[in-house]
Amino acid sequence: MNETRFKNVKQLPSTHLLGSGNPMCAGCGGLEALHEIYDILGENSVFVNAAGCMTLLAVYPFTPFRGSWLYTAMASAPAGAQGIRDALDIQLDKKRLAKDDDMQVVVLTGDGAAYGMGLSVTSGAIERNLDFLYICYDNEGYGNTGQQYSEATPHGARTSTSRVGIGFSGDKKPLFDIWAAHKPAYVATVIGAEPLDLARKVEKAKAIKVPRLIIALSPCPTGWDFDPKEAVEIGKLAVKTGIWPLKEYVDGQVVHTKVPSKRLPVERYLEKQGRFAHLFKPERNETLLAEIQAGVDAYWASVVG
Amino acid sequence: MYRIRFHGRGGQGMKTASRILGTAFFRQGYEVQDAPRYGAERRGAPIFAFVRAARTPIYERGIIRHPDLVIVADDTLVPVPAAGVLAGADAHTVILINTHETANTWRHRLNLEGPVLILSAAEEVADRATLPYVGAACAGAAAALIGEIPRADLEAALHDELGHLGQAVVDENLRVACEAYDYCAGQAGIVTASEALSAEQWAEPEWIDLPFEQSGVSAPTIHGGLTSELMPTGSWRTMRPEVDYERCNRCWWVCSTFCPDSAIDVDEEGYPHIDYNHCKGCLICVAQCPPHAIEALPEHGDKEGGES
Repeated sequence: MNETRFKNVKQLPSTHLLGSGNPMCAGCGGLEALHEIYDILGENSVFVNAAGCMTLLAVYPFTPFRGSWLYTAMASAPAGAQGIRDALDIQLDKKRLAKDDDMQVVVLTGDGAAYGMGLSVTSGAIERNLDFLYICYDNEGYGNTGQQYSEATPHGARTSTSRVGIGFSGDKKPLFDIWAAHKPAYVATVIGAEPLDLARKVEKAKAIKVPRLIIALSPCPTGWDFDPKEAVEIGKLAVKTGIWPLKEYVDGQVVHTKVPSKRLPVERYLEKQGRFAHLFKPERNETLLAEIQAGVDAYWASVVG
Repeated sequence: MYRIRFHGRGGQGMKTASRILGTAFFRQGYEVQDAPRYGAERRGAPIFAFVRAARTPIYERGIIRHPDLVIVADDTLVPVPAAGVLAGADAHTVILINTHETANTWRHRLNLEGPVLILSAAEEVADRATLPYVGAACAGAAAALIGEIPRADLEAALHDELGHLGQAVVDENLRVACEAYDYCAGQAGIVTASEALSAEQWAEPEWIDLPFEQSGVSAPTIHGGLTSELMPTGSWRTMRPEVDYERCNRCWWVCSTFCPDSAIDVDEEGYPHIDYNHCKGCLICVAQCPPHAIEALPEHGDKEGGES
């Protein structure tokens, strides 16, 4: 399991499984992560999609997937995955499905479902030791309906429901820790802007049967208010500033897979996004900038030691 | 009843334009409907918004099929069939196009019976999706052409709709809206209301009746994958990435890996090829290409692609 087939970037796929022509926004960071993930997972994947932006991927009769896709209500995707897994297992048992044709059952939800409405259902699925892969594309708000705040919204971000003052006054919920506390086989954070790290983690997750959960931070030009061409740059900055730690929980241990040797100041990441513009204009909000920086510093002090 | 349709791209402010015009009408005591119409489509995709206004209660619903005024914020949409800019236009319909070309050019090109006016695009920008304040300009122009809305009500409506964005945004939009209002003031009243139709006057659209069929026949189960490729999302693009193959160093397909839309394929020799039917023009490839071998050109610029 430690041997990766992705030793360097030249080994990343150069052809892609996910179809073009879908209605995600231009520059969608979630779509970028999904297409990278799908390339590693392969065609034998069935997606269970909770309501969210990516519901729009497969609007009858169009689909960018090569196989099946199931749409569920916002809180129910892991329950849908249970049903599909059970059906596949029955087919396997009855020899109506060859072992080689078995499928990965993949839950695909946004942060609204993963961090909020669907959390208890996910908790149940982990507890039942369901053989599934959970992919959360986290754009830190209810992006499909106009970027209302979600439980993944970071402190100080403006959203359409936190338009005044410092923006969102709460904190991003530590979903990685909450999921890891269930002691599932595998939890990881990824980002489309770091495709090698992503490929290795998906490869690892793919090889495991039982619950595996991955959160992909998904820079969102529409909801975060930046030029779509900056999506990858902003993703890289999320990692370089230490705002989005790339890590995995495996065998009971949390391992950081990419530790920024010299972390850039968080404002390099924040200043590129309209949702944080009020931290810089009309005048710099030094208190809030320092607060956000201190939060990131404290995190890394606690993990690097 | 006035029926006005605004056509633009997602991000150009057509919804806002319809809100401003609707509110201005409302301040004049009109009954008003305003609504944007877009599907699951995003920045750069063709969208429209519409306004109905009448002195009597409005019983019409749904999209406007026979507009009195069509405003086109982005002239590159006129030839895009999916945008439906000219749908239902007749001799009575006034067409106003935001363009650098002349009204005569458009009259000749469109060969329409009704009046074609132009709103002289204030400044050319390479990326049409970022046309500044074009929504406000369209609302201002529409208010003037209708001739029923005093400037003060346009200004008040704009305050109502954009006030939450702060004074600086309001001021700049006001400037642009009033400029367009004054520019069109000479043609005030050129747009005339058409009759409100009663239920008796309703004519069946020219659609083809299909016999009722079982859902399995009318909406069959689809087993084929990748059907999304039938959707030409390339029409969303306002800027076009072009690969300079002399400069491309056949890296580890950075462009292809990062392209969210799987719209860049790499051939056996390692050269990328952009699928313009599906490239939405996000330009991540331009930003990320290590040897800067991909250039962004205006989609609808001259053939030389000069950005001037």
